Amino acid sequence: MALDFSFTEEQEFFRQTVRDAVNRLIMGRVQELDEKEEFPFDLWKEFAALGYLGLRHQEKYGGMEADTVTQMIFYEELARGSCGFAMAANMQILMGTYFIGRFANENIKQRILVPAIKGEKIGTICFTEDQSGSDLGGTRTLATKVDGGWRINGRKQWITNGPIADFATVMATIDPKLGLKGLNFYLVERKTENREGFVSGQRLHKLGSRCSATGELVFDNVFIPEENFLGEEIGKGVQYAGEILNEVRVMTGMCALAIAKNAMDDAKEFANNRIAFGNHISKYQLIREKFAKFWAWYEASRAYLYKCAWLIQNNIPCINDCMLAKFHSTEMCMYAVEEAMRIYGGNAFCTEYPPQRYWRDAKFLLYGGGTHEVLCDYLGRVFCKD
Amino acid sequence: MAFDIHYDTKWEGDAVEIYVLVKQVPDPEAIVKVKSDTELDIENKYFTSFFDEIGIEAGLQLKAKFGGKVTVLTVDNRRVDALRRGISMGADEAIQIADPALGGSDPFTTARLIASYLKDKPLDLILAGRQAMDDDAGIVGPAVAELLGLPHVNAVVELNIEDPKKEAKVTREVEGGKEVLSCALPALFTCQKGLNIPRIPQVMNVMKAMKAQIKKIDLAALGLSAGEVGPSSAKVKIQKYLPPPKRPPVKVIKEDFPDNVKTLVKLLKEEAKVI
Repeated sequence: MALDFSFTEEQEFFRQTVRDAVNRLIMGRVQELDEKEEFPFDLWKEFAALGYLGLRHQEKYGGMEADTVTQMIFYEELARGSCGFAMAANMQILMGTYFIGRFANENIKQRILVPAIKGEKIGTICFTEDQSGSDLGGTRTLATKVDGGWRINGRKQWITNGPIADFATVMATIDPKLGLKGLNFYLVERKTENREGFVSGQRLHKLGSRCSATGELVFDNVFIPEENFLGEEIGKGVQYAGEILNEVRVMTGMCALAIAKNAMDDAKEFANNRIAFGNHISKYQLIREKFAKFWAWYEASRAYLYKCAWLIQNNIPCINDCMLAKFHSTEMCMYAVEEAMRIYGGNAFCTEYPPQRYWRDAKFLLYGGGTHEVLCDYLGRVFCKD
Repeated sequence: MAFDIHYDTKWEGDAVEIYVLVKQVPDPEAIVKVKSDTELDIENKYFTSFFDEIGIEAGLQLKAKFGGKVTVLTVDNRRVDALRRGISMGADEAIQIADPALGGSDPFTTARLIASYLKDKPLDLILAGRQAMDDDAGIVGPAVAELLGLPHVNAVVELNIEDPKKEAKVTREVEGGKEVLSCALPALFTCQKGLNIPRIPQVMNVMKAMKAQIKKIDLAALGLSAGEVGPSSAKVKIQKYLPPPKRPPVKVIKEDFPDNVKTLVKLLKEEAKVI
């Protein structure tokens, strides 16, 4: 069959199983997670015990080696529960452990990856600095070669899981003048009495995705042994980053799908019950148009995102597709959360009702995997060149 | 939420065989509409009947105590997710009774199919939900027990077994209190909310369930013919589905305050008759 959009029976079963776990562990706590603005260690422990943190890692380390489509089903269902918790878990599953699984030696894998899959250690990845984010070439965190290893100096900002992380995959440059060609990944652990390492700086208070811990990491002349260099060759950091950027973008899109669907499902229920001028407001054409537009864009986003997942799974080059799908789905989500706020009317302005939370959570998705301004600039350039 | 159960005692007798009857039912969120007199249009959202999950959990807890095997069993031509759910929770084997001739069978026929499969099997205990969450009939479990000549107790909220080859002590909730019963084994118990909290499957078991081969049993394997099942053999037949009455139209009181309050009170008294 040349064109098949169906999920397998096994994937449908997997979705139902994840959905059930999310319903039972997370759904009843969503408002509390948002209001407390604390990382929920109890939920993390319960969730980790189910084994999902090893979603994409090898079975011999406790992972499940799920295919890309199955991974994306997981990301979509988890974000349906709590965007903040999904951000923390997805960081651990994907970005925070990918390069350790890919490049680290067996000793490090046993010491860090295996406990990370069990949820006993928390990981993160560090790209962003005060003057660089989407512009990776502007990275200033410096890695200096010394006897037996490297010394890392710099500050990383906007690091998901940063304040609670036990280990970090850090992008640093061997020379800022080299731009993208000077970048590499290094494994750095948190400072302890017996070990040099990073320390946490300021923790950020965020508009949305509030239960994930986000903040600054400080690297003050931290020594790391040679085995903590994550790569096969110096200067290939950007190329390595490209290996997961497609997944990161589609994963972000999956979160957008989930938030948008939640927002509009709630808005539908509200519109079917709220009466104005003698009718349920869902009977009015201007309200219906909002749902119709959402529905069209949502279905298009979902189809494109899962197509991207399929392309990644089959090793078909798809960097532009993943950028387009992330851009489309996140903008679709912005529309959905904005319109849900309008459908709820004044109620949307109260924290008692969920639309404001969807609206706040959704904004977080605009930045990961490249800001939309950077993505559009690149995509527009590619389109015009063609 | 801890699901691992550890027991001090270790059973040293023969392996314990437990069967759990399960059914895939429409999700409570699924939209169900009356399509015709005898047909429903059900949105394609299904899940394992909640009471059946309690049965699976009870079986697994007994397996943890005594060892042996838990087998989940369903009668369904299309959906096997309830069986996969059982395996993802920790069941050892899954049996699907399916045959094109089964469409339109009534609950009693379903019970006969299950009893036909189980009649020659060594077993110590059969567990089922107290009722399926779609039709709420509650027939299949007790009917299987009757057909197999086994004792059964319905809607148990406590289940204690010290010797799985001898006897169980079960508790049911009755009007104003509880009823504690002893029951010779093998037996069939249907499980009620409160007996346990079904575990959330671990991902390794989910993977196992996704790949699991489901053993399929057809009518021929059960020694039954097409004439003994399906609509022609059904003793209970659906005559008509009736949708719930539509909500009456909304009445908007257009008068200004305070006249609108007076009108509202009048309507609540005289039309709605709620005050």
